[in-house]
Amino acid sequence: MRYYWLGSLLAFLTSACSTPSAEQHQASSPVHIRWARDPETLDPQTLSNQNAVDASNLLQLALLQNDFATGGYGPALVEALPRVQLLGDSLTLLDYHLRPQAAWDSGQPVLATDVDFTLKLMQCPNLPNEGARVQFSFIRQVRLDPTDARHFTFVCRGQATEFIVSSGDYPIISEAALDPGHTLRKLSLATLQDWPATRAPAPAVAALVRRYQQADPARHPEHLPGCGPYRLAAWDTDRQLIFQRKAHWWADALPAAPAVLQARPQQLIFTILPDDATAALALRRHEVDVYPQVPARIFRQLQASPTARQAFAFYTKSSYDLVTAGFNVRQPALRHKLTRQALSRLFDPAQLMVATQLGQGSRTVGLLPPGSPFYNDSLPLPTYAPTQAAALLRQAGWRRLADGAWHHPAVAAPLALVLRYRTDELTFTAVALQFQAAAAQLGIPVQLLPTEGSLLTSCLQSGDFDVYVRLIKGSSSGYNFAPILHTDAINHGNFTGFGRPDTDRLLEHIATEGNPRRKRLLLRRFQGLLQDEMPILPLFFVPYRLAVSRQLHHVIASSLKPGYAATALSWQAADSLATRAH
Amino acid sequence: MRLRRFRGKRPIAWLPVRTSRGRWLLVRLARAALAAWGIASLVFVVSRLLPGGPEQFALDGAGEKWGGASAGHVAQMQQAARQSFRHRLGLDEPIFYVTRSPAPAGWHWHGRHNQYHRWVVQLLHGGLGQSYRDGQPVGAALGRALAYTLPLTGSAAVLATGLALYLALYLAGAPGGRGRALVRTLLGGLQTMPLFLLALLLLLLLANPDGLNLVPAGQVPNAATSSLSQVLSYWGPRSLLPLLSLVLAVLPSLALPLAAALHHELGTDYATTARAKGLPISRILRRHALPNALIPLLTTLTELLPSLVAGTVVVEVVFALPGSGRLLAQAAATHDYPVVVAGVLLTALVRLLGLLLADVLYFTLDPRLRPLA
Repeated sequence: MRYYWLGSLLAFLTSACSTPSAEQHQASSPVHIRWARDPETLDPQTLSNQNAVDASNLLQLALLQNDFATGGYGPALVEALPRVQLLGDSLTLLDYHLRPQAAWDSGQPVLATDVDFTLKLMQCPNLPNEGARVQFSFIRQVRLDPTDARHFTFVCRGQATEFIVSSGDYPIISEAALDPGHTLRKLSLATLQDWPATRAPAPAVAALVRRYQQADPARHPEHLPGCGPYRLAAWDTDRQLIFQRKAHWWADALPAAPAVLQARPQQLIFTILPDDATAALALRRHEVDVYPQVPARIFRQLQASPTARQAFAFYTKSSYDLVTAGFNVRQPALRHKLTRQALSRLFDPAQLMVATQLGQGSRTVGLLPPGSPFYNDSLPLPTYAPTQAAALLRQAGWRRLADGAWHHPAVAAPLALVLRYRTDELTFTAVALQFQAAAAQLGIPVQLLPTEGSLLTSCLQSGDFDVYVRLIKGSSSGYNFAPILHTDAINHGNFTGFGRPDTDRLLEHIATEGNPRRKRLLLRRFQGLLQDEMPILPLFFVPYRLAVSRQLHHVIASSLKPGYAATALSWQAADSLATRAH
Repeated sequence: MRLRRFRGKRPIAWLPVRTSRGRWLLVRLARAALAAWGIASLVFVVSRLLPGGPEQFALDGAGEKWGGASAGHVAQMQQAARQSFRHRLGLDEPIFYVTRSPAPAGWHWHGRHNQYHRWVVQLLHGGLGQSYRDGQPVGAALGRALAYTLPLTGSAAVLATGLALYLALYLAGAPGGRGRALVRTLLGGLQTMPLFLLALLLLLLLANPDGLNLVPAGQVPNAATSSLSQVLSYWGPRSLLPLLSLVLAVLPSLALPLAAALHHELGTDYATTARAKGLPISRILRRHALPNALIPLLTTLTELLPSLVAGTVVVEVVFALPGSGRLLAQAAATHDYPVVVAGVLLTALVRLLGLLLADVLYFTLDPRLRPLA
């Protein structure tokens, strides 16, 4: 009995000593996340893929960043969303105030001059900033406030509600690190934007470009001071990236840090696992803790396994990425809207969503997600209706003759279609095959041309197709559809070739309308017009699927890319320790 | 000039050994280098003629984020961005010394101001250019990838050859038997199985929490901070499955023809004589039949050499190894021309050197095949 009590005492002491240390160990453990590909470059000016964007957000902050909790944008380096003022009918003023606590790693404050410098850097030649130039050239001037170094106003060309968020969605770069002599301040942003490509750059610009190239932020982001919560600790190309939480980060001093400025994990490790099956096994073997954007097949397998269900939590959120079919309205056979309407009835969005996405995701009447306040819920969802399709074809003037083919008096050849889609996407293949089978039953031959990505873009731009299937990547605030449906964008982003003066005007109004009530009316009209003209058929919004270890807390599954908030995650043990400390 | 009689029995060839064999080797090496350069040049020119250049990938995201700008402005800016991108990478220069323009039709001479000339000059100075995707030197990227690929494919080749020799001798040792039939069936089955299926099967069978979980779980060690022993203890068990995949994939193509060749040799007169003299079958196989049967195997073996540097995309993707196969596949998919051309140049060179090596080994094993002076 005496020994029993002694043993119990020893066991109690052992457990009392070991539990906190195990908890502490887990609390400080890194969070391992699966990435399918390497970010390739961490140059803040040329973030070529989503992983590069996510990595950059850990190192540098933007004025505004994705708020995964609300599904919109939230102020990061600034105190609030900008105050908007319309100037005449062609200019917009956006007024920002930087947070007084915002600081670089060097301890220097983040100032309005840094924002001005960042926008000017985007205009410097011979730097990989061509993409940024396209996106942010609508900002023509940064008006600095001589009385407040943290206050500035953007003067934007044009008027659009999207300016509010897009004006602040890029990482800010320190001026002191790259241009300590402030040489770029002598040149205005507009001067740099309008600098002829044939003219040699100004000496100050050329010197700055050299310094930037020497810093090599693409591979060594640590050469530039950051203002984000993490620093890059290691980068083994195509294998893993390690981000270490800064011990002292300026946002830690905020009395109540907003969601966009939360950074809980002490270390984030992104492991590159290109194959989905390998990634699923790595998750099962606890080599990764978070598996974002899980393919439908793998998701189903994981959910079917009792041990996996015990170890992992599963989340699904509909994204803003929309699978669409587009009709080339320039082709004689597809010029009539009734023909396009008829063909759209041969797609089966409901069954396709079940077959390719486990029924997850969401269908839509137009290009807007069903959750949008501007969604036109009076319109019917596109459905599979082959009988209706045949009737619409006859209404459009097509007749099915004895040879089994559909003929039209105004079109030389019988109705036959070429459908192009990107070759490496299984969802597109399923859509194409379903359409081909449905069309065959109606006597319409469809030739499928799975095409390599870059070649597909060239083919779509040159109009070398009848029908396409592709993904339109949207955002929570994207209501400007002009670049995909305006006549000015034909042969660029408007692949269907659709557009009339009245539809152009409607698209321009939508892009510039700031009043929510009027915008709602315009967007409802636009969705009705899209269903009537049918240049693009929206099939469904694809879901983001997420599998996360149950040991991780504060999981925020989001409709925004990449579908989760990495910096919000924390270990269960860390939460327990924090509760105990309180 | 020193003359030496070859050890071969027939026909007796007298060759000026050093000079002609050395010259022959030099000529073959020069031819190999020339052919590799020709192949790389062809790939260089053709890749640049393909529709949709690297700007398609680099600016793809930019086209999707148009903010609130007008459609016309976005289209204009995209066009300007494409031109600026091509100018930065030198892709707006003529591709070759001469080009043919469609209208007005005619040939144009560009002198040294062309992409090909720039590439050749760079190559002669030992440079392979910079990747379009990350701006890093191609040589360094290839070196990093080869550090994973060479040990894996090299050890797989050695293991597969050793195992193939053993299995071929075992299969040729006796005409029938259940064991031999089973080995033949297994080898036949492996030969028909695609590599991706084999690799995934091994992964699912041997590293699966629901099945056999032989490979220990663990995190990837940090290359910068981990010691050699840590790195080895991590990669040791993890290289087993990729190694096994490669060995099993290549084993049938080595073992089955060798077994057939050994079987053929056993039916020849010299083997019958040896058996009549009382030599055991195993000794006849090893000492007499194997040197003759090895000759066809050399071709298969040297065909493996290019994959030593080109890597195996499937195995590298399935087992998440950042080797040269993955590097080249990604570069080809994203039109990263400098990486593609450097990869082609290296692979072609190794392939041609492999053929040369095969010839040298042929001549060593069978003097009748040696070139006459």
